[in-house]
Amino acid sequence: MISWNSLPEAKQRAILRQVEKPARYTGGEWQACDKREVFFRLPEKDRIRFAFCFPDLYEIGMSNLALQILYAALNKDEHTWCERFFEPASDMREQLTRENIALSSIESGTPLNAFDIVGMSISYELAYTTVLDMLHLGKIPLRSVDRGEQDPLVVAGGPVACNLEPMAPFFDLIMIGDGEELLSSVTALYRAKKQNHWTKRDFLLTACQLEGIYVPAFYDVTYHPDGTIDTIEPNVPQAPRVIQKSIINDLNRAEMPLTPIVPNLNVVHDRMVMEIFRGCARGCRFCQAGFIYRPMRERSLENLSEAARTLFQQTGCDELGLLSLSTTDYSLLSELLEKLIPCAEKYHVNLSLPSLRLDAFERDMAEQVATTRRAGLTFAPEAGTQRLRDVINKNIVEEDLLQATDVALRNGWERIKLYFMLGLPTETDDDVDGIGSMVNRLITCWRNIPDQLRTRRFFINVSTSIFIPKPFTPFQWAAQISPDVMRERQQRVAAALRPNRRVNYQWHQFESSVLEAVFSRGDRRLADVIEKAWMQGCVLDAWHEHFRWDIWEPLLSEIPGGIHFYTRERSLHEQFPWDHIQIGVHRAFLEHEWQRAMKGKTTPACFEQCSHCGARAFGGGVCFEPPRTSSQKDIWT
Amino acid sequence: MDVSDLQQNRVLFHYARTGSTIWLAHLDMVRLFSRAMNRAAWPLYWSEGAYNPRPDIVFGLPAGCGIELERDPVEVGLATSPDEGSFDLEEAVLRLNAALPESVQVTEANYTESGGKSLMARVCAARYRIEAPGVSSAYRKTFTGAPVTVEHVRKKRTTSVELMSKIMDADVVYDDVLRITCGAGSVNHLRINLLLKALIRDGGLSPEVAAGARLIREAVFMGTV
Repeated sequence: MISWNSLPEAKQRAILRQVEKPARYTGGEWQACDKREVFFRLPEKDRIRFAFCFPDLYEIGMSNLALQILYAALNKDEHTWCERFFEPASDMREQLTRENIALSSIESGTPLNAFDIVGMSISYELAYTTVLDMLHLGKIPLRSVDRGEQDPLVVAGGPVACNLEPMAPFFDLIMIGDGEELLSSVTALYRAKKQNHWTKRDFLLTACQLEGIYVPAFYDVTYHPDGTIDTIEPNVPQAPRVIQKSIINDLNRAEMPLTPIVPNLNVVHDRMVMEIFRGCARGCRFCQAGFIYRPMRERSLENLSEAARTLFQQTGCDELGLLSLSTTDYSLLSELLEKLIPCAEKYHVNLSLPSLRLDAFERDMAEQVATTRRAGLTFAPEAGTQRLRDVINKNIVEEDLLQATDVALRNGWERIKLYFMLGLPTETDDDVDGIGSMVNRLITCWRNIPDQLRTRRFFINVSTSIFIPKPFTPFQWAAQISPDVMRERQQRVAAALRPNRRVNYQWHQFESSVLEAVFSRGDRRLADVIEKAWMQGCVLDAWHEHFRWDIWEPLLSEIPGGIHFYTRERSLHEQFPWDHIQIGVHRAFLEHEWQRAMKGKTTPACFEQCSHCGARAFGGGVCFEPPRTSSQKDIWT
Repeated sequence: MDVSDLQQNRVLFHYARTGSTIWLAHLDMVRLFSRAMNRAAWPLYWSEGAYNPRPDIVFGLPAGCGIELERDPVEVGLATSPDEGSFDLEEAVLRLNAALPESVQVTEANYTESGGKSLMARVCAARYRIEAPGVSSAYRKTFTGAPVTVEHVRKKRTTSVELMSKIMDADVVYDDVLRITCGAGSVNHLRINLLLKALIRDGGLSPEVAAGARLIREAVFMGTV
């Protein structure tokens, strides 16, 4: 096995000249951390080499805020050097395989298996085979039972960590919850392991007692004859029966990457980013992020305005994204924009506000944002009828959408993107037809604006995705619709929108949604399927051009119960593969919400009224703030 | 602002790039400089326009991917005049170099006159050094004075390109080091990858050696060579 940094320069050049976008692999970005000069002066037992792996291409990984946050948090510690790894594109992968070169770090060209800890940041289920591919390319045995004392510790985190059971045999340790402080605890403990010559098992027995740490090998799962789970029990006394997620209550003390790596390539989200709050107060019943990151915790106005100025100076980027799950819910957004806009203009920076809520996009805000740039606006009504929006607890009415569109069109926006979901629980043909009706009313709204006040190039992009039931949501009991129904509903929407030349309709291939649904509520028995699929060539499954349903479908059909076993509606009494994880929101609350959904009843946002979900037990965030008054709610009017 | 102010408002600098940044494509280099200048607080002149204002940065030649550069020219427009005293060029270059990755550094900078031809139009030639085992022998076998034509595929279109007429001078330093001066810019431009293609086809240079060759653009010439 050869490492990249041991190759002669001519060989490196020869390889890089044969691949597309070689800068994906060569590093040298502004503010990338190269601490080799000081780091290697430390005694070996005091050094932790951490491989931050993002199981997708460079352009996707470098757009990920978690990478920047954790990279900064880890590298702040003089004893830790965190380096990055991404999945190589197929041309580079072919070169590495042919030349027997190990997957190597961007910063120093060190092979993956030379690191102490390999950390996989997993944002979506369709990255599972890519995780295996990276381990394989890095010359690391895939399964934890096959790894010895000399192999790296392989850990995982990210949104899907709340149910990583399908990948359980591949990880030594899984981190659940906010990663900044948790990861530092793990590296500190690993340093103690090295200093005290603990075995890997000794380390894991200590680590599993930390909040937010889950060691899958320390839990045994038994099944009923029908394939559902009977018990999930710890098999060592040190492992807790229930694993509590790790949380940072005061976000102002959480790491904010003020000197982020500035990619040289044009990555997917090529901008600096600032997380204005974490968690969400809304409670949309399909949204996993909205529940697993509860409670909603805001950064202070001072913290953010100071950070923005530093980011402008340190990165030189021309766009700043204010990130959160629902940007308009930041309690002081108007004040924040007032502070940011003059500074942004001075530095020629555009402000980008993704995740806008329809009911909060009003005139003053549109005018404020329009001073920087009028890129396309994206709204997510999610469902075509009020009945279904109430079922999912979206808490917006069509009037909100019409008003937001009117405001946007009068303020210079030309393109509006609308997101919908197909296959939501209780959905009928009327709900699907409601999408077309809603779009037609938007076009009428545009026509009703006087010529001199509206754009002539108005265009609507409609995008639908297939509903995927996710753990820790009120819809975790729901079924996913069958592929035949998916196809039929996509065609129904397409037929309704086709006659309109101002509308473009985009939809995803539904097979990948089926796979995602299988994994999202999957259990450990899927690990064999994932490994077999990878061995047969599946990798980068989230990419349309790489997705191989012809491999997945027969493999999934071999499981007892087939695909349907994982996509079916679950009984209220069924034990879930993730029931030993305590994410903060109680199962009883989710069940209550599921029942309210079936009755079409909505639930208010946390900042209006507490619904007693259980997140208050963490002792921070919106749970301890006074309810917002109507004047605060209508901050933009 | 009168015309004389505008003439003093432009800076021509030369930069070198080595190491990992040689793998950046031209547009990536433009972005890299634009961001570095923002970090270094260079008062760049920005084009007017509400939607997509752009800083005034012009490269003499595109920085081809995989090519080291020793002295490539870039011209920028400033939104301030040196007479205002707020912009010290020497100090600004130090600031810019501190804001650039170590593998990209500005080597010299001067005020330049504006008006007339753009920087890109003034570029007429470039000098390259190619380091690869046997490259000079391959060159001698290929370029004997007769026309050398290779096929160039671009955007699914294939065209024939004659190379001999684009080469102004060739200097065999060693058998492994070849230095050539050739046409560059909008007229008579020689693509270095086409030269390597010819050396493989006619000069017996192995494709592996050609792929691993070190390519260095030593200089870019403006006006006359």
